Amino acid sequence: MKQNTNKYQYPQLEKYKESLELAHLKSKTLIVNTIVFIFAGVILYFLIELDTGISVILSTMTMFIVLFIINFAFYSYDEDLYNNLKIAMYINTLGVYSIAITLILRFQTPSIFTSLFLVYAIISIYQDFKAMMISNFALFFTGSILIIRYPDIFKLIGNEDSQTFFILVFLIAFVLLLSLSSYILIKRKTFFYNQLAKIKESEVRNMELLLEIQKINTNKDLDSEEYYSSLIKFSKELSKKIGISNIFDRKINILRDSSVLTMQEILEKYPEYNNEEILDLMNMELEINNKMRKIGIKSSQSYGIKVTRKEIFSESQFKSFNHQGDNKYVMIIAFVTFYCLLKIDKPYLKELDEEKIKDILYNSEYFHRIDRDIINIYLENNEVFDAIVKDHLEGK
Amino acid sequence: MKTMINRIRNSEFLTFNEVLRLKVAIVTIFLFIFVTLSIPLSSNNTFASDVDIFIPIGFALLLILTMFLTLINLNRWAMHFSIYTILGITIFYVGGSNYFYGYILFFVSLTVIIFYQDIITYLIFGGGITVYGIYYIIENGEAIVGVNSTGVEFSSLTYQAILIGFYVVFLIQFIVSDNIYEKMNNEWVRMNKVLEKYQSFSLQYLKEHLEDNEIDPLYKNIKFQQLVSELSVFINEFFEEDADKIVEVVEFYFFLHDQEVNQIIIDKELPLVTRKYAVELQKYLINSRSELVSILFDFATLFKSDKQFQDTRYEYSLEKLFNNKIDKLLSLAILYKYLKTEVTQYDRWGKVARVLTHEEITELLVSKEFREFISFEQVNFYLDNKELFEMHL
Repeated sequence: MKQNTNKYQYPQLEKYKESLELAHLKSKTLIVNTIVFIFAGVILYFLIELDTGISVILSTMTMFIVLFIINFAFYSYDEDLYNNLKIAMYINTLGVYSIAITLILRFQTPSIFTSLFLVYAIISIYQDFKAMMISNFALFFTGSILIIRYPDIFKLIGNEDSQTFFILVFLIAFVLLLSLSSYILIKRKTFFYNQLAKIKESEVRNMELLLEIQKINTNKDLDSEEYYSSLIKFSKELSKKIGISNIFDRKINILRDSSVLTMQEILEKYPEYNNEEILDLMNMELEINNKMRKIGIKSSQSYGIKVTRKEIFSESQFKSFNHQGDNKYVMIIAFVTFYCLLKIDKPYLKELDEEKIKDILYNSEYFHRIDRDIINIYLENNEVFDAIVKDHLEGK
Repeated sequence: MKTMINRIRNSEFLTFNEVLRLKVAIVTIFLFIFVTLSIPLSSNNTFASDVDIFIPIGFALLLILTMFLTLINLNRWAMHFSIYTILGITIFYVGGSNYFYGYILFFVSLTVIIFYQDIITYLIFGGGITVYGIYYIIENGEAIVGVNSTGVEFSSLTYQAILIGFYVVFLIQFIVSDNIYEKMNNEWVRMNKVLEKYQSFSLQYLKEHLEDNEIDPLYKNIKFQQLVSELSVFINEFFEEDADKIVEVVEFYFFLHDQEVNQIIIDKELPLVTRKYAVELQKYLINSRSELVSILFDFATLFKSDKQFQDTRYEYSLEKLFNNKIDKLLSLAILYKYLKTEVTQYDRWGKVARVLTHEEITELLVSKEFREFISFEQVNFYLDNKELFEMHL
């Protein structure tokens, strides 16, 4: 069966990753455009100094201007900015390669040929998988075609034997190395976006879990009525103090009603408020909505947390059963204990059946949190594991 | 080779050290190609024949040394030796022949250094090879001028501008990616610590739940201990026949649950191996907020909450959540009330049973960290009316 480690990923991640990436994509777009602008300036200087003629200067600069206009248009259009900037990125990638190829074909010298490498470097700032794929292919194919079809480009004044075979071999090695480098870098970057998005969702869920366990332990829920009564008193005194009429009561009543009335009924009862205002207000509701409780929990726990630079780059921050340097026995015991805990009923998680455990461990990032040999032994012998558990916990 | 491809495909799950090791292995393969190529290309060189023989042998020895260093897990050293090798190869190629392919090696060298993603290494060695490249062009620029070039001056200027551009653009890429990476990592580590606090509370509630219902904790359950022991022996049989050792370690693992583990770790009277096991097993105890407990809680969250993503799902700032001033004030009042009436702190006996006092809440609200939740205007509003908050909420 094909492994899919995203099968058990939180479904909310993709949207948040997009918003995380968008902030960085904006700044990268600006940086790339600034570099392309400098690139254009240097080229303009060379074209003028070489006295290439107005038509060459105009045609080359027009390409840059078109590129800048496209970028500006996509950047300015706020609707679906994430996809706009992605499109601008692909257009930029193809655009700067086109300009470099035009220059190479125009001048046909080995020195201008290296502008392809510079273009590759500029595109690498995006650190985007698809842009890098386009860039790798563009560098490889245009480089190879130029070497094979236009060997005269590489003929040197003092040495007419251009050794195109070795140039091609070196170019292939160069592109391969760059591709692997960007592949690993982008994978790790994506992993961090994923981890950050995951921990945000994990925080929400852990708070919900905490509230659930708290309820199991204390056997009582938050007294929302007590909150609303206090708010009424507080707002009355506040209005008196600042000398205004009580503008809070209606809103507090909406909060009270929202656990028993539908949205339509609320809108009919409080016609001075629109749908959006009511939805905003709902974030404060305490009976069925946990938002304010989560803010309360988080704000009470986030105080005094310090992060050192050493911790930022420490591998030990990743929780796993696969820590480098741990004894094999320790890795085995850790995994086995975890597995056994999944097979037992707990107040916050019911026991899981064998197929489910196997599926999750194989098709999620937990697969990578366990020593490869150990997880493979489990996956190949999970029926034996299940039988041993049943033998021991029968009747439990 | 298959293992290496698999490792590249799953490189995001590797530790920093493992990734570095993988990178050294990849670079070594490329260096091997370049060293091998230096044999047929030596016919293009202007060096004496003994130099053409001994230098590639020297590179081959450097490669063997690099491989040896990765074998003994000195990956950073291996990285440096691989960089020395590529720098050596570059100088050898461009110094001995006047071909364009030699010049490409400046870019290859920079790529190798970029591959390691270490900014200091890039600044020092990358900067060094770029300066050497510029020097080479100034000194030997006429040797690599194309037949279609307009002259040595423009050819050299183009070479120099592009080489410097390549170095600078990748330096910018480094700074951008380092900056993003550090910010994300910082946020991630900070959130991890907050998460651990929630999980500690959850675990404490569970312990109290067991105590209140007079249920023995799981680690004291003999059946559970036997189960862990038998499954551990079963897995261990795939690695070694002797089961005694692992059974002993399992017993020690459960024994640790009732001990002050930190005392065991610092007790110099105990054998080193015992203390080492205590350090390693501490991460997986089930009666404290260990890594195992965190992983288990995280696992449990896979089955919770299926609410759709909304833009405000991870927003905790009252300023950003609410647009209306009245809403902002009301939410501040609710937050104050929550902090004042709900238990959010450990008491002196380690139970989650204490609420924050008015003074503690005030200290919290005015703290810099709290700007994540309320705005400066809200703090001022609170300070102006804190008596009302204290009296009526």
